[in-house]
Amino acid sequence: MGMHLRACFALAVALGAANSAIAETRLDTDALQLEVLAGSCANCHGTDGRMVGAVPALAGRSAEQLEARLLAFKHEENTGATIMDRIAKGYTDEELATLADYFSHLPATAELTP
Amino acid sequence: MSQPWNRLSRRQLLKGLGGASALPLLGAMPSLAIGGQHAGHVVVVGGGFGGATAAKYLKRANPAIKVTLVEPAEVFYTCPFSNLFLGGLRDMRSIAHNYDELRQRYGVDVIHALAEDIDADAHKVRLSTGDTLRYDRLVLSPGVDMRWDALDGYDEAAAEKAPHAWKAGHQTTLLKQQLEAMEDGGTFIIVAPDNPYRCPPGPYERAGMVAHYFKEHKPNSKVLILDAKDNFSKQGLFTAGWQRLYGDRIEWVGLSNDGRVTRVDADNLEVETEFGTRHRADVLNVIPPQKAGWIADRAGVTDSSGWVPVKPDTFESQQVSDIYVVGDATVAAPMPKSGFCANAQAKVVAAAIASSLEQQPAPTAYWANTCYSLVGPNYGISVAGVYRVTDGAIAEVPGAGGVSPADAPDTVRALEAEYAVGWYNAICQDTWGTQV
Repeated sequence: MGMHLRACFALAVALGAANSAIAETRLDTDALQLEVLAGSCANCHGTDGRMVGAVPALAGRSAEQLEARLLAFKHEENTGATIMDRIAKGYTDEELATLADYFSHLPATAELTP
Repeated sequence: MSQPWNRLSRRQLLKGLGGASALPLLGAMPSLAIGGQHAGHVVVVGGGFGGATAAKYLKRANPAIKVTLVEPAEVFYTCPFSNLFLGGLRDMRSIAHNYDELRQRYGVDVIHALAEDIDADAHKVRLSTGDTLRYDRLVLSPGVDMRWDALDGYDEAAAEKAPHAWKAGHQTTLLKQQLEAMEDGGTFIIVAPDNPYRCPPGPYERAGMVAHYFKEHKPNSKVLILDAKDNFSKQGLFTAGWQRLYGDRIEWVGLSNDGRVTRVDADNLEVETEFGTRHRADVLNVIPPQKAGWIADRAGVTDSSGWVPVKPDTFESQQVSDIYVVGDATVAAPMPKSGFCANAQAKVVAAAIASSLEQQPAPTAYWANTCYSLVGPNYGISVAGVYRVTDGAIAEVPGAGGVSPADAPDTVRALEAEYAVGWYNAICQDTWGTQV
């Protein structure tokens, strides 16, 4: 699943770059799969991971940094996390990498404040 | 994704120019701009965490879908954080949300009316305004109704004297008024139901918030929880936190110690348990057993349990096609009946419906849950879970989730209290986007 999602993401980015390809279908099913994978992140990080506040925003951060952090939450002890260590263990390494890619490509507009 | 209307314009322009669409040209034209044409009509009944999220994420998935949200209230008060209002940490305005952003930014048609009946065969919803809406897909986010026949003596009239305050709004302010009017030295009784019910940690967070209020304003008063079960959510963490912050001010009596209340005398603020013990309260908060909101019955999606069985992958009703149900009304265990889960389920439903309207398979479902509870203003605890469909059923991903550590220092409790506020702000932004 993880590999598939990552492929989806690459495809979605490619399609975004080449606008004409999107005309094939009204619904971007690959983007939709990514939205569903990332869906629960928004509940603490805001829509598209752009909420600024006690919980850090995700959008627009480096993919490498996000992936390293997520993998550390999953595999390492004493990361300083209070809850992400419990949540990250529910995803494969590939899924975490896909999520890191996904949020790194979203614009980091800090307009979402409480 | 942050600019749905721009994306719509781009796509529809391309469709209009390209002619590569499999759809007839007229259907592929900018449908909203010329009026009348759309990618299907989805009616969402209920504007809480589940319904408002479904409406927004349907529009995000495909802005060409016509989305109508039916919700009687112009202002929605959240159950999450309503305990903080009772504890004196927040005002009601801070838990109030409206539908302006769904209307203005996402193009959802919001109708403030009550959905009175559903004709599933004809795909129609009848509204209290007398209007009828025809749908291609229906989303029900009906929340819970109290079972007024479950506790002897506890009906709607009794709830005006012994509030449940398990739907935020009038009931919450009523309970707060009683709490404030109570003289010091009194007893606040919480009657807690057996599983399943809305917000499993809610009664215990409430106990802590009321004890916090007592500690500050009425130091000789106590909280007594009479419980119809022997175990509850985050029990060890709550019990340790109560002891640490409130000493013996909170007493919990479980099922095995005759904690199950069977009769309520709201006039005399008295309750009687299974084995005949009577308890007198100065403020009586009865949280009765619950069932799916009544419109789910009208739609024919509930079973004999009073709740709604759904297909795990899509949350479409197991009993009625083209009706999807989210939130507390559903049988979704091991997912709890939480606002977080309603929101997470709604995103899966939005994607499933957007896909089905285009004859595409639904994406693979992913859900998570996080429930923060405040024991005190600077003392937060949490439980988390990650869920997938495994062997045709919703299942918790093994090795993930669980509760806050038992031995954490005060700094961690304080951080979790801070994150609880961050969570509330984020999920409300994600669901309604608009702070009243």
